[in-house]
Amino acid sequence: MSSNVELEPGVTPESGLVTTDSFDNLGQMGSSLEEIKSASAVSQSQESNESNSHYDEFDESPNCMETTAKEDADLEEYKEWANKKNHVFVLSLAGKPIYSRHGNEDKLAWLFGVMQTLVSFVQSNDDCITSIQAGDTVFIFLVKRPLIMVAVSKTQDCIYQLISQLNYVFNQITSMLTLTRLNRIYEQRQNYDLRRLLSGVERLIDHLLDFSEMEPSFFLGAVQCLSLATSIRDSISSTIVSACSKIKNLVFAILLADNKLITLVRMKKYYLHPADLHLIFNLVQASESLKNSESWTPLCLPHFDPSGFLYGHVSYLSEDCQACLLLLTVERDIFFTLSEAKQRIVEKLRRGNCLQAINESLNAKEDTCANAGFTELRHYLYKCKSTAQFYQPSLSPPYVLSKQRLIDLYKRAYQRLHCTTRPLKLLFERSSDEVILAWDTKGFELYIIFEPLIDTTSAISLVTKLLNWIKKKEERLFHLTSPTFLK
Amino acid sequence: MDCDSGHRRIVRVSSKKRNNGEVNVNRSCRNSTASVNEEEEIDPYTRRRKESLKNNACDICIKVMLLGDSGVGKTCILMRFRDGLFLCGNFISTVGVDFRTKVVSVDNTKVKLQIWDTAGQERFRSVTHAYYRDAHALLLLYDVTNKTSFDNIRAWLGEIREYAQDDVVIMLLGNKADCGSERAVKREEGERLAREYSVAFMETSAKSGQNVELAFVAVARELKYRQNGQRDCNKFNVQDYVREQTQKSHCPPCTT
Repeated sequence: MSSNVELEPGVTPESGLVTTDSFDNLGQMGSSLEEIKSASAVSQSQESNESNSHYDEFDESPNCMETTAKEDADLEEYKEWANKKNHVFVLSLAGKPIYSRHGNEDKLAWLFGVMQTLVSFVQSNDDCITSIQAGDTVFIFLVKRPLIMVAVSKTQDCIYQLISQLNYVFNQITSMLTLTRLNRIYEQRQNYDLRRLLSGVERLIDHLLDFSEMEPSFFLGAVQCLSLATSIRDSISSTIVSACSKIKNLVFAILLADNKLITLVRMKKYYLHPADLHLIFNLVQASESLKNSESWTPLCLPHFDPSGFLYGHVSYLSEDCQACLLLLTVERDIFFTLSEAKQRIVEKLRRGNCLQAINESLNAKEDTCANAGFTELRHYLYKCKSTAQFYQPSLSPPYVLSKQRLIDLYKRAYQRLHCTTRPLKLLFERSSDEVILAWDTKGFELYIIFEPLIDTTSAISLVTKLLNWIKKKEERLFHLTSPTFLK
Repeated sequence: MDCDSGHRRIVRVSSKKRNNGEVNVNRSCRNSTASVNEEEEIDPYTRRRKESLKNNACDICIKVMLLGDSGVGKTCILMRFRDGLFLCGNFISTVGVDFRTKVVSVDNTKVKLQIWDTAGQERFRSVTHAYYRDAHALLLLYDVTNKTSFDNIRAWLGEIREYAQDDVVIMLLGNKADCGSERAVKREEGERLAREYSVAFMETSAKSGQNVELAFVAVARELKYRQNGQRDCNKFNVQDYVREQTQKSHCPPCTT
């Protein structure tokens, strides 16, 4: 394949999203709520206990429940539970159950006890358990003080993806409580039952896990944008900027619809991490209650600043336009200010026909490959690295009914390109069902599924054709500007 | 400098006290004397709250908050009241506080209700506390099928005393009254508790619609009378009103 890659659709000098491949470092962005507050000369004493907790001893013995398999029904239930393909557990360092993806945590107390024992046994030798492989089952342990996360998987997902999933779960919990609070809770009481504070969050975690298994955005570390003409997207952004021009300490304004980003306006100097944006998408999708009202909610974005809350005004634009607007600020009590700003935004967008444009794009769906003139392509993912955005066409047969299979193909290809032992630059794999091509360059990643009978030369020429097509449409498909609030 | 600011603070506190006293007196005779000057010195929260009461778009605008444990049916009551819908089956968990409005008319007066629907979960308390002070009325809910939610009412009333304004209208609601045999809290228990704290009480059902409208209208009515003060406002009393109304018309024919 010709490796001249001057064509990099979707590249832009500045992006509102942080782009990074290493996903798991908390705090790497170094942005801080304190900084924002003090920058605008609002001096409010805020608690910021950063002290780390130390747990060396666990005198608390896990309370085992008797496993009396008294009835067949129980046994059936157990079998069904045991056969689930992917389990995720969260427990405290003291072994208290916090979350189980399937089944009731209380009934599984014995199992949490085993997990805690494994972790602390290895820890006593100054070591850290990471994974156990047993036949077709892999057990992943992720110790992130003050919590332990465990994944048990029979899927073909690689360890990297499972760890990333666990990180997301940890971040979801942090985003509800903040890391500072989480640490403080366990400093004060090692055997605290965290479920008390997390009631309702289990549904968010459930949704997040399902979501992360079905959406390419998670393993790509990128977000998809809603296709819109540049002029429309720009006028939406500038409407938001002008409506919020007088509001102090507004950090982000995010407009999204149907799991796609419409625009992101940010405070100068501050960027949003895609993983944080995924949590926001998850919150919006999983919370039915946001649909019919304006909400005011505290939200911690763990990559942005794990120590404190942002406060979000969350509302859908209008009955007739189901795009969700989030205005995130560091101020705790400016609901009404933001509510008025939102009204102004909606009115102006309506007058500028932007609501209509958003609706049209939502209804039209993306092109399928065939519609775009690529009959030998079935599906593809294009990720622009520098903007952390990706594009995918609509699903077409044979994957409409088996999206999971398509996602698994992509995940495997992704893993081949990114595995630490022997990463590939280019993968071309032919099976009886399809041909998959994956290509990692400096500027982008491309994953394409072809018809199984395509020959190599035409596949390569199609890649160039596809890149040209994306380049031509890049202004529609990507959010190329990075608007900021006026100071 | 220090001395000066300290002095100023003392003055402010005392003026606030005087005002509070005055407001109470005013209630019976506000119509005749416009005590505008005095009111300017009230702290910003109280002023904002008072101003919002005289919202010009409607005759009166009042802020109502729904409180209570997670899952007692706060959102459902509100949906029933505002949209006449009951969301059966799926559990909708509120995130933070939700804000909705509805206009009702009380004796030909348009009353705009701004309703804060709060999340019951403990982790949202810090956000909800911030909005207690603005509220004119609080609807405090428990679930008659859930004893714990009833036991927690005392704690809620404690929080209310700490964060809300002294003259806030409080109404205790025992929700899910349609439950039948699953009931865990007797009606009398609710009544007793309400009497103990001298707040109004009724049992409601978002499912059947029982008393839902009445709960909101009753607080609207109470606040309207307080606001106008024209008719001898002492005569109107939410608790009496609620008692009358609930006796008059019992549960609409709806069960199962």
